Amino acid sequence: MADNDKKEPAGPAVKESAEMSRRQFLTGVGGAGIGLVLGGVLVKGFLLPDEVFAVPASDGYLLVDTKKCSGCTTCMMACSLAHTGEVNLSLARIQVVQDSFGAFPNDIEIAQCRQCPYPACVDACPTGANHVDTKHGNVRTIDASKCIGCERCVEACPFTPSRVQWNFEEKHSQKCDLCADTPFWDEKGGPDGKRACETLCSMRAISFTREIPRQNEDGYNVDLRGPSWDAFGFSGAGGASGGH
Amino acid sequence: MANGYAGKILKVDLSTKSIEEIPTEKYESWGGGHGMGSAIFWDLCKDKTVKGDDPGNVITLMTSPLSGTPAPSVAGRTEVQAIGLQGYPVGWYTRSNFGGRFSSHLKYAGWDGVVVLGKADKPVWINVVNDKVTIEDATGLWGLDTRETQEEIWATVNDTAEVGDWRGLGTSRDAGRSTQRPAVVTIGPNAEKYMPMASLVHDAGNGAGQGGMGGVFASKNLKAISVLGTGGVSIADPNALLAAREWAYQFAYPGHADEPMSAIGMFPFSANPNSAVGNYAAGVSSRPQGCVGCIRTCRGRTSTGQGNESNCLDFIWYDVHDKAVHGGKITSATAQAADSLQRYGINSFAMEAVMLWFAALRKQGLIGPGREIDSSLPFEAWGTAQFAEALCNSVATQTDVGADLALGVAQCAKKWGRLEKDLKSGILPLQEWGYAHHYDARTEVEWGYGSIMGERDINEHDFNWVVYWTPTICGLYGVEPIVSAERLSQIIAKKGAPYNDPMMADYSDEGIYSEGMAKTVAYHRHYTRFWKESTLYCDWAWADFVNPYGPDYEGITGEGEPKFFNAVTGKNLTYEEGIEIGRKIWNLDRAVWILQGRHRDMEVFADYNYEVGAVPGTTTYEAPYTVPVYEKGVWSYKSVAGRKLDRQKVEDWKTKFYALEGWDTSSGWPTRATLEELGLGNVADALEQAGKLGAA
Repeated sequence: MADNDKKEPAGPAVKESAEMSRRQFLTGVGGAGIGLVLGGVLVKGFLLPDEVFAVPASDGYLLVDTKKCSGCTTCMMACSLAHTGEVNLSLARIQVVQDSFGAFPNDIEIAQCRQCPYPACVDACPTGANHVDTKHGNVRTIDASKCIGCERCVEACPFTPSRVQWNFEEKHSQKCDLCADTPFWDEKGGPDGKRACETLCSMRAISFTREIPRQNEDGYNVDLRGPSWDAFGFSGAGGASGGH
Repeated sequence: MANGYAGKILKVDLSTKSIEEIPTEKYESWGGGHGMGSAIFWDLCKDKTVKGDDPGNVITLMTSPLSGTPAPSVAGRTEVQAIGLQGYPVGWYTRSNFGGRFSSHLKYAGWDGVVVLGKADKPVWINVVNDKVTIEDATGLWGLDTRETQEEIWATVNDTAEVGDWRGLGTSRDAGRSTQRPAVVTIGPNAEKYMPMASLVHDAGNGAGQGGMGGVFASKNLKAISVLGTGGVSIADPNALLAAREWAYQFAYPGHADEPMSAIGMFPFSANPNSAVGNYAAGVSSRPQGCVGCIRTCRGRTSTGQGNESNCLDFIWYDVHDKAVHGGKITSATAQAADSLQRYGINSFAMEAVMLWFAALRKQGLIGPGREIDSSLPFEAWGTAQFAEALCNSVATQTDVGADLALGVAQCAKKWGRLEKDLKSGILPLQEWGYAHHYDARTEVEWGYGSIMGERDINEHDFNWVVYWTPTICGLYGVEPIVSAERLSQIIAKKGAPYNDPMMADYSDEGIYSEGMAKTVAYHRHYTRFWKESTLYCDWAWADFVNPYGPDYEGITGEGEPKFFNAVTGKNLTYEEGIEIGRKIWNLDRAVWILQGRHRDMEVFADYNYEVGAVPGTTTYEAPYTVPVYEKGVWSYKSVAGRKLDRQKVEDWKTKFYALEGWDTSSGWPTRATLEELGLGNVADALEQAGKLGAA
């Protein structure tokens, strides 16, 4: 049984109106506010007056520091290994994309699932496979047994690259569950446990928060560099030493 | 089978255009990387006496079961082997190695390695997308530099050079998707014309520089290999691997990021991020950047985009000259010089020797317009980006002095009639086999001995960090190293299997000719051949002898290497068993060199090592050499700067080393008994047939 019921498909005119509301909901203060209010209270989603679909807020969120990331992709390897038993960048629910020749800080982007207060991927799923898992801190996740492979959730994710992926090996959608279900990692995961990407990040460039981040890039991309970072010379104090 | 191996090795014969699979299982006992590469080379290179540019040469690019996995500082390395083109007087069968993403993507594509034979009848590149392998026309790429080539191939494979979104790799939705760019290893423009100097370059700053492997590619009309994989690497015990990685963090920066290591010295596994940052000009901000799975993140990417992913010699070939003309400050010239090297695909070590040599020749008034060595290079711009670019360009276009440097540095000196005298005086710093002086054979002897017993500058820092850099830097700071010389000897003895002798750490004037030093070099050759070059643990993170976070400052070498290997493979290999496989690989390599003409009489250093004291700064970038010594029953750190090698004592040491290895002490050739003990009876047969088997 899905943790949230799906609303009936809306007609074109209604859908357009609803999408405008969803965008406002996604980007506005209201999204976070409602999520905070609803977090941990409701089991099922419901329709707001303007047909916005709302679900309980996730109990946790991944934050990243793209300026601290070294691009080693350990987070991607750890994610796929913990979930699938194999290391596969294409099955990692966090993606690091980078340009070897690019100029810092625009050479790296980290694409982690935002556990959106308004999860468009959940909303798009016609079967309830993509759902809010109330047993694991309301993480947005996939029940593979219910996935019919329509990929609407993959398409619905408003971010690039989509944080919901098509698992082309097992033929179902998948997404970040904050390591709530990691058959190949003995650690307890989810909002109350450990996350493989965060735990194994070489640079400590991934962190976790229970507070709903501000719903923009800055809310999820934070400064984790700490007081030693400038001492390492990364802010531009180099030019004197050379050598090893 | 979940054991870290992809299960098959790609074999491409460019002469016949055939594409075949070799079952990895056939070579699995060699571990991976170098061991597999040497075993494959032995089987497939029919005439091992050919030159490096002969179509009969075989080049291997190998991964390991740990490639593409989250084992720390190992997943990104690719081992490259072939008969080389850089060595002098013989281009021995040799190795090089580069980091980045290539090895991982090769595994994700389903391959444990690539073996290339023959020669294409026109320029080609090899395109690997999962199981699909094609030989593509590279006519339009041949004159491009390494960045341009990669951007062209990215656009071809991905339809665009842009990244960021999921891209399907086939018409089926289940054909695999990726957000990543293909990993491309390539050579510079028209590299067939400067083969001994030519590197393989991948991404912005990963290079396999020593050995002339770029020349081997060029000789085969092979411009590049591109790989993009969407498959997985299956792990025997995923939980054990994840747990081991977390375990390692107590010994490394990630476990101490809020209070980074402050010990003075050079520490590999435990180092703070990005040691390249000192090579950027003031005001240039950067991030640390690491190869796949790295905890060491030794290089960076910068706010200017200059010097991206370069490190160490990529900068050091030029930094001293930059500083010399810029008031002791690094400017953007150093990073731009690194980029020039990377884009032309030229070996940094060779160019460092050239710069030091030219500096000495300039001082003597021997090089310049109208001088004995007539050159119109802009020497007035020495130390600027302009000169670095001009020098690299002259090699790549075979103009000015570059026309002769393109032959190789030693070959150039010979053509100019300067080889013997400049090697004797030391102004031409080619320490052994025509390779650039790196670390000093007279003082840090395990480096020199390892190189002369092998085939190239070893470029293995295992001992270097702890016996040279740390005590030397501490000496400059006026502080004691975190481990005493006696404690260091104990640690080295514990790690130095199977000899486990504390005298392995004795770098005194007597110790460097001792049985203990023979054990040091033998251990080092065997350890690196397996754990570093076959399993592919990165040289900048491993071995970990001394660790500021370790119990009584002991590093994790011995425990760490097999922990990750066994979690991935499901084997139960011990550290010592790995070293023994390394001994087998070392002997197989030795056999190839012997077939190429190796004899103990050839294993001598350049004359300056016997003639001139090791004066800091005259040959390369050394500081005063302070090393552990055992004198009059007491361990201490002591400067041995100024030391020369004694020719007869070196010869006596060689005899001890050959005996320890089970080789004929008169020839340096392995005996049948030694080879058969290692399961190399077929190799003994081949040497015997060639009349080169060591006498029992």
